[in-house]
Amino acid sequence: MKRALQRKKSAPVSAHSKGAVVLAALSLPGVWIAPAHAETAPDNGVIAFKYLHYEDSQPGLQRIKVNSPSLYLMTPIGSQWAVEGSAVVDSLSGATPRWQSSVSSASVMHEERKAADVKVTRYFDRSSYALGVSRSKEHDYASNALSLSGSWSSADNNTTWNLGMGGSSDEIDPTGGGFSGDTHDQKKHTVELIAGVTRALSSVDIVQFNLTYSAGHGYYDDPYKAFDVRPDQRKQGALLARWNHHLLGDQSTLRTSYRFYRDNFGIDAHTLQGEWVKPVTAALAFTPLVRLYSQSAADFYADARVDASGFPVVPALQPGQLNSGDQRLSSFGAVTLGLKTEYKLDAAWTVDLNLEAYEQRSKWHIGGSGSNGVDTFRARFIQLGASRKF
Amino acid sequence: MKKAMPLFAACVVALAGCSSMTAPQAWEKSSLAKPEMTMGGDALGERFRQHIYTSKENASGGYGVGGGGCGCN
Amino acid sequence: MKLIEAAMAAGLCLALAAPTAFAVDVGQAPPEIDLAGATVAHKLSELQGKVVYLDFWASWCGPCRSSFPWMNDMQRKYGANGLQIVGVNLDAKRADADQFLSQVPAQFALAFDAQGDSAKRFGIKGMPTSVLIGKDGKVLLVHQGFREEDRKDLEQKLATALAAKTN
Repeated sequence: MKRALQRKKSAPVSAHSKGAVVLAALSLPGVWIAPAHAETAPDNGVIAFKYLHYEDSQPGLQRIKVNSPSLYLMTPIGSQWAVEGSAVVDSLSGATPRWQSSVSSASVMHEERKAADVKVTRYFDRSSYALGVSRSKEHDYASNALSLSGSWSSADNNTTWNLGMGGSSDEIDPTGGGFSGDTHDQKKHTVELIAGVTRALSSVDIVQFNLTYSAGHGYYDDPYKAFDVRPDQRKQGALLARWNHHLLGDQSTLRTSYRFYRDNFGIDAHTLQGEWVKPVTAALAFTPLVRLYSQSAADFYADARVDASGFPVVPALQPGQLNSGDQRLSSFGAVTLGLKTEYKLDAAWTVDLNLEAYEQRSKWHIGGSGSNGVDTFRARFIQLGASRKF
Repeated sequence: MKKAMPLFAACVVALAGCSSMTAPQAWEKSSLAKPEMTMGGDALGERFRQHIYTSKENASGGYGVGGGGCGCN
Repeated sequence: MKLIEAAMAAGLCLALAAPTAFAVDVGQAPPEIDLAGATVAHKLSELQGKVVYLDFWASWCGPCRSSFPWMNDMQRKYGANGLQIVGVNLDAKRADADQFLSQVPAQFALAFDAQGDSAKRFGIKGMPTSVLIGKDGKVLLVHQGFREEDRKDLEQKLATALAAKTN
């Protein structure tokens, strides 16, 4: 039976200045795997700019706002080499809760993160190899990563196999020592592996299967959250299946994907996404998108409970006992609706606009009712971009 | 979930091996050459999206390696 | 059980999936093909005695954009010496080929094969593919792709083929 959560809406957001960035142990998407096409350097280079504006909210709390300009450049060098790189600056501001969805003890902050990456690819007759380096820095978190990947095509170019390996080394130094005040200079090391196959099944169908595995050890707690003690190792696996199907009738394309995820925190997750690229004229195309997501809760996730007065109940913990009230480790489902518009100004320039609306609710968890007492979470973002071929 | 796994595995095996959908010849790849038919897509856009989703949900991975980490919300 | 049935289906598909075995070998005579739409000849065999550079192309093939200006150059330079370049278009829709040609004009003979019959006979594995046929009617080389660094080497092979004496 659900209990109504009463919240002290009148309380101002906490003046705890210790709370700067609220952390989550995140791995960022990295090297994109090449499609099943001929193993030659691209015919042309690309320079692209994109601006992201993101806002999220939960009832009674305006949460995070993010503004991120980013730049991307890819250029072939001769017919056997290509270099690509990108840079981004994330400016975050806003508040996030310290315990469950509790507004009264939220931490306000303003944060900036800068990141850049470079990848060099060498092409051979039926194969290619790439080396990538990336770096991310914000005032309490720094990450350095390296990756190596290889891609091999069959003689008829219809099948491509991919293998990739990456390692990253992160340093976490929470502002003011975090919630406890004494968390300093923590580290985290991660190794990632990917194996995949891409195959052209027909003249209008292409599918891809990727298996990724990541193993890391180090500091995974969220230092700004109360009562947050997580395992010191993390193993994650994901299986992704994608299918692109072209419809000759109207020259539109259906892109679908399903991903199964499992990790050692006890979380299983399913992601299903479908989009339809629909050209309207030779220059204009619309792509509506639907994404469905569901995850189970972490083994050590602490359910939100309130006492008779409506105040959150915090758990009594043994020393070293795993625990977290982080909403992101609870059981929930989420739905995204998106629309992208792309317009070709001429043979070289394209501009695009992408809008997505996201909502996360515990009761949307498939096969179950999800975690109790977690507020609905909403996010919206808009991306505005331009790119030029050269 | 347990029921889905054998079916999923069967799809993997069937799709990977079966060419009753005729595998395309070199000159029949006009549709496959279109940018919307590649698996990559819009590099910056997809990175932003995946970054947002891995910040707000627990699942990650499947796409590539080497992105490093961040203390993101 | 679903998994076993699927595995059997996959095995059967793999067994039946052997590709057609047409191919063109260096030193052999090339297969006969129609050259629909070309004014210089109706069939490949009619060009016997000339050095023929057959280029299989399509509007969606990236490297074709840079190969056309080079082929125009070669036709202009060596046409009088007996070189005949024939671009065989493999677009399923003629309109796509015409749009490409309006942006990248061809000053050599063009043939149109929307069904891909000629490509099948030649066992084309990649786009573009070019086949050089000597004065004696035998295949001299089969070249896949078109890159900047290929130009010199291809031109040299053309010149050598043109200089060869007909017996």
